Amino acid sequence: MPIFEKSSESSVTRAIVSQFAKDMDGFADTDVIIIGGGPSGLMAARDLALKKVRVLVVERNNYLGGGFWIGGFLMNTLTIRAPAQKVLDELDIAYEEYEKGLYVTPGPLACSKLIAAACEAGVKILNMTSFDDLVLREKNRVAGVVINWSPVATLPRQISCVDPVALEAKVVIDATGHDASVVKKLEERGLIKTPGFGAMWIEKSEDAVVEHSGFAHPGLIVIGMSVSTTFGLPRMGPTFGSMLLSGRRGAEVAYDYLKKKGH
Amino acid sequence: MTTSRRKATDRRLRKIELREPEYLEDTDIGAVRDFLSTYFPSVEVLVKPPVIRQDWKTDIDAVAESLARCRVKNPSDAVQSFEPMFGEIDYERRAAVGQAKVGGIVYDGRKYSNLLYSVLAGELRIDCASIAFTQRLLSTFSRDDLRHHLRTVVCGFPSVVSIPGIVEAPAKPKEYYLSRQRLEAIGAGQLQLEELKSSFRGRFVDYGDPRMVDVMKGLALQAVMFHLTLKPFCDHAECRLFNAHWQEDLVKSQIASTGLCKEHQEILVRLRDNPIISW
Repeated sequence: MPIFEKSSESSVTRAIVSQFAKDMDGFADTDVIIIGGGPSGLMAARDLALKKVRVLVVERNNYLGGGFWIGGFLMNTLTIRAPAQKVLDELDIAYEEYEKGLYVTPGPLACSKLIAAACEAGVKILNMTSFDDLVLREKNRVAGVVINWSPVATLPRQISCVDPVALEAKVVIDATGHDASVVKKLEERGLIKTPGFGAMWIEKSEDAVVEHSGFAHPGLIVIGMSVSTTFGLPRMGPTFGSMLLSGRRGAEVAYDYLKKKGH
Repeated sequence: MTTSRRKATDRRLRKIELREPEYLEDTDIGAVRDFLSTYFPSVEVLVKPPVIRQDWKTDIDAVAESLARCRVKNPSDAVQSFEPMFGEIDYERRAAVGQAKVGGIVYDGRKYSNLLYSVLAGELRIDCASIAFTQRLLSTFSRDDLRHHLRTVVCGFPSVVSIPGIVEAPAKPKEYYLSRQRLEAIGAGQLQLEELKSSFRGRFVDYGDPRMVDVMKGLALQAVMFHLTLKPFCDHAECRLFNAHWQEDLVKSQIASTGLCKEHQEILVRLRDNPIISW
């Protein structure tokens, strides 16, 4: 007797296509689109979804989590400074206190639990999907994104002449890390001028990333390391506590905005 | 004779106003007030709320935009002429009403002092030295090497003392930067960087260090000396008026030092009972 129920190839294909089409239909017009599925993007997505906000995360890689899998020097121990360990408590991620106010946790554990928490909260994920361009409305307000399959960009032009599709959203969040890809698209159009990373050597820049997390342009919020690029904050090492808290701050800003707009 | 006596009286320092920073971290303005009172017993030393108060509603948008314009985006540019971004103004607006903490951004100290001057218009008087403490990082442009440098104090009307500037402005020991650069080149994390800091403990002032208040006292004294004489600094490395460019000198002049050099001791004894503004 076989272990699995009987099913045909056509049923499997229909299941994949119909569910994906249903998801895409639902997210063609949504509340929040987050570009980038690293720690800040996932944190923001999870917090928003828990408040019944419809959130779509667009991730160019097959895997989610960004740099949250490993710490410094390719070692997979993550360091988190207080008070960000409270987020680990919330997500039920085990950690140890290394010294007063500094905590360590295994990257694979923390990252997988964060991904699971986002998905369980109701976040929809579009992986292997690249951000291509912005949808702009009145006074150049960001009102959505143009996306395409990630592999398209890697293929020769004559094979990859695949038009992208556009999704609309009330708020777009740039969580693309140092690249700040969404903000850079605005810059390409001459709508914003970013200063790049701060040239001065400053010890305490973690707070600045969290505090600057918020609107960079009407309709566009920046979180995570893209905050550094956008506002010219001093470059930081892998400080994951600020990524989590930056995501949380971005979610708060987005939620307040949506509430004012009658969400 | 009568005219010159009246002039001297008019130019007497009667009050020192210490403006609290945006938030009270690493600070004890009361201790600074008591310290200044011992040097100037005939002068009233007051602690007042921050210049840009959180409950202050007038023209908050205009002030937020002016603050955003004070940012230093290019350390090699003396003028810093740019249109602030929507997000920068939004951040300054949130910071002004207490919804965001200031920090990590470098502001042009001269522009920032001028902005406070315009906000305080009408309140500033020549017989009152106004010193604003801030949690913002300040820099001024140096004509020597044509770039901005972080500062602990920017003397002016008002003078501004940057609290994070105490940690960030004077350079740490060279070996610290070399070791840090090496660690960062191999992708070291926060853990290794914290360990590096520990190995240099005592040689520089860090955030949360109780000695920061001692440094603030000396910087406030420099600001008062500027108001009285336009000469805030001293060349003696063990005098509280020494303008330290290295952390080790800062520790020596503000923390290890017992007070002032002989010359400034004499000047401050003269000013103690007769704090006349001499410029």
